[in-house]
Amino acid sequence: MFVNMAFNLIKQSGGIAIKKAISSSPSKGLFTAAVRSSKETRGLEKVYEKNEPVLLETDNVIGKTPLMAVQNYIEVADKVDISSLTGVPEEHVKSRLVKISKATKNVMQSGTDNTHNWVMEFDNRERWENPLMGWTSTGDPLSNMKIEFIERADAINFCEKNGWKWYLEAEHKTKPRPKSYAINFSWNKRTRASTK
Amino acid sequence: MATREASKHATKIVRPLLSSDKSEAKKRVLNLYKTYYRQIPLMLFDRHLPVTKEECQQKLKEEFLKNKHVTDVRVIDMLVIKGQMLLQEIVTKWAQDCHVMSLFKDTVEHKQNDFLSKFINSNDSQ
Repeated sequence: MFVNMAFNLIKQSGGIAIKKAISSSPSKGLFTAAVRSSKETRGLEKVYEKNEPVLLETDNVIGKTPLMAVQNYIEVADKVDISSLTGVPEEHVKSRLVKISKATKNVMQSGTDNTHNWVMEFDNRERWENPLMGWTSTGDPLSNMKIEFIERADAINFCEKNGWKWYLEAEHKTKPRPKSYAINFSWNKRTRASTK
Repeated sequence: MATREASKHATKIVRPLLSSDKSEAKKRVLNLYKTYYRQIPLMLFDRHLPVTKEECQQKLKEEFLKNKHVTDVRVIDMLVIKGQMLLQEIVTKWAQDCHVMSLFKDTVEHKQNDFLSKFINSNDSQ
């Protein structure tokens, strides 16, 4: 019980400290308060002698300038490359090849639902058999990534945006075969070979 | 290979993230760089990191130059925002020493591409 209370106290005081650190006076920047105290207690002057405003002026970096109205529009290149933002490692952006194809039908079933989307898949990297259990292992984080898109262009745009090389696999369209039950009993076709 | 439908070069009109033009975006980047640069001695004072100030400055420069090819104003803005977030994490110590050191990748093994080391490191050696 007491331990719990003490723990709660610590939690609260910690929360207050963080709040203070965040919401120090806006004119002085985000973290000046915290730094000042550490200066006083630990002789930071040695490390940082100059008496200039040290820290984060948040508004300097990401604040909006008064000149810019939010309603403004800007012109940018049509092709956007966000690969530097996504955090995907460079080796998985530059060296991967994406296959874009129509989703395939499950060969064990005759239904064709869920085959109308376009799927993007990455090239296969090394797989190996786990010597203990015989399971298949891979070191490739993108090996099981399958993303479906309604339109082909969406898939292509997505790849372009993420900086992946891609190729399209041709779509196989199957013609539905007209089927009829009556043809089994046709008089002029050899569909009842056993009885003729 | 089919024709690349999405790679037509044109421009489009969009809402800006923060900056309305390239010069403004550049100012933000430089501001962020300076703030990081000034934070380095403080960070090293607060933490016990096995790196020197010069190495940190070098790394900082490297991290910024990694994205020097980016021209889209919105992407630059977003990178600045992410940089700002990381700086905040470093200053408030939400990012711990290991997270800071992960930028240096000192535990990553370099892959060697010559034939013999590939052969020895291959996973098919049962």
